[in-house]
Amino acid sequence: MGNKEILRQRAEELAAKVNGEVEEQNGVLVLKVKGAYLSETLSTAKSFPDVPCDFLHDLTALDLKDHFEVVYQLSSLHGPQRLRVKGTVDREHPVVNSVTRLWRGANFLEREAYDMFGIEFKGHPNLKRIYLWDDFEGYPLRKDYVTESLEERSVVLPLKKGE
Amino acid sequence: MGLERTEELSLNMGPQHPSMHGVFRMVVTFDGEVITKIEPKVGYLHRGLEKLAESRTYTQFIPYTDRLDYLSAPHNNMAYVQTVEKLMGVQLPERAEYLRVIFAELARIASHLVFIASTALDMAGWTAWTYCFRDRERILDLFEMSAGSRLTVNAMRIGGFSRDVPPEFWPALKSFLDDLPDMMEEYFGIFYGNEIVMARLKSVGILPKELAENLSITGPVLRASGVQYDVRKAEPYGIYDRFDFEVPVRYGCDSYDRTLLRLDEIKESAKILRQAMRDIPEGPVTAKVSKIIKPPAGEVYHRVENPKGELGFYIVSDGSPKPARVRIRSGTFINIQMLPIVALGWKIQDLIAIFATLDAVLGEVDK
Repeated sequence: MGNKEILRQRAEELAAKVNGEVEEQNGVLVLKVKGAYLSETLSTAKSFPDVPCDFLHDLTALDLKDHFEVVYQLSSLHGPQRLRVKGTVDREHPVVNSVTRLWRGANFLEREAYDMFGIEFKGHPNLKRIYLWDDFEGYPLRKDYVTESLEERSVVLPLKKGE
Repeated sequence: MGLERTEELSLNMGPQHPSMHGVFRMVVTFDGEVITKIEPKVGYLHRGLEKLAESRTYTQFIPYTDRLDYLSAPHNNMAYVQTVEKLMGVQLPERAEYLRVIFAELARIASHLVFIASTALDMAGWTAWTYCFRDRERILDLFEMSAGSRLTVNAMRIGGFSRDVPPEFWPALKSFLDDLPDMMEEYFGIFYGNEIVMARLKSVGILPKELAENLSITGPVLRASGVQYDVRKAEPYGIYDRFDFEVPVRYGCDSYDRTLLRLDEIKESAKILRQAMRDIPEGPVTAKVSKIIKPPAGEVYHRVENPKGELGFYIVSDGSPKPARVRIRSGTFINIQMLPIVALGWKIQDLIAIFATLDAVLGEVDK
């Protein structure tokens, strides 16, 4: 059995346990679960027997208009396995558990997702905005964030008579 | 009876400081001379590229990617256009694939030369800086004669290359590769073999293997901690599986090994360049793609080995001419997380050295 078949089997076993579903997108297995099951899913995926997905490449979020998805790109430094885990979260109260206990590298990534989407990561050691300043209003990468028009953004004041 | 200690001193390093490689800021807390806490602050160069991408077409976003890691612009172009090509299923002409490899490896050498130069400068070594910049100039000349610009090259298009390189490109490339061993001998003499450099870098800032893996560290920093992992070998993109090269690895985990590893990588890049020069076929450099790029709905995460770490693009398409989401996973943004952990207990000059070996480019960190 090849690496991918083992991974598919493990992912399907896990999906049955956490009430998720497995699909394939352009050659990569995607495991979709509810946001509440994310920490269980990820800690299990990190220690899959034979095909551990123990390296966190990326953590980000997607705005799908009616809900958010938190996306984790997992793989391993010691094998070809790749897995994408997606957790759906509610738009009104986007809260998921932090994975900084599993991967310390998630620290900045979770702060970025909080900064851009307003997703709260419970248990994060220092959940503050990372790119934008602290009193910035709104979350720019949400689809309903309105960017101001060029005229409003312009700080050039019109010339007064006699100037 | 309490312990006697000096008053804690908090110091702002940056954003405007020559050793910060751009506009990076750290709030460092000292106990006497010893660092007890570091808080990195990023975002001074944040341009909101991910948000900008959502209002541009797929083609219009290519020049923006040049501004990510501006010391190795072809890598950023390549990562982006290959992601879109993967999404669309475009097959490239052979010559375009080879040209991409040549541009990418030249950019890797140029970027590592800047790394050696700026690390030397952070150790107050002016002469090494001038040597490296003298040689990098020849790579920039190669870019200029084929794409028109030196830094933000913007030569790649979705489906190939903007245009073929001129005939004078090949002799210039060959003479550069012929001179490269002598240049590296010089860097070794003036920088790596220098006693002061060794004293400042050896066993400073140890990053153990387990910590590096847990922190999602990638690129030369990971390889200097004893993990032989390179995206070019682990998950070959483009035509990298055709070339014969080694993935250099060092086990010292310290700043000196991180620096030395870059020199090993220049050697391997030169090896790839020679093979690509030998094998490149004649032919067109652009595949036939439609004028309006409209990838089918779907999503792709694609990564390439940037000189600084792993650069990944995660593009979600909804079938319209504009991407629904472009996510940029930049290597150094994640790599600088090691600073607050690794630099604890060292003094301020060691912090400068450790930060220098991360080779951060703030265009990539801040996006």
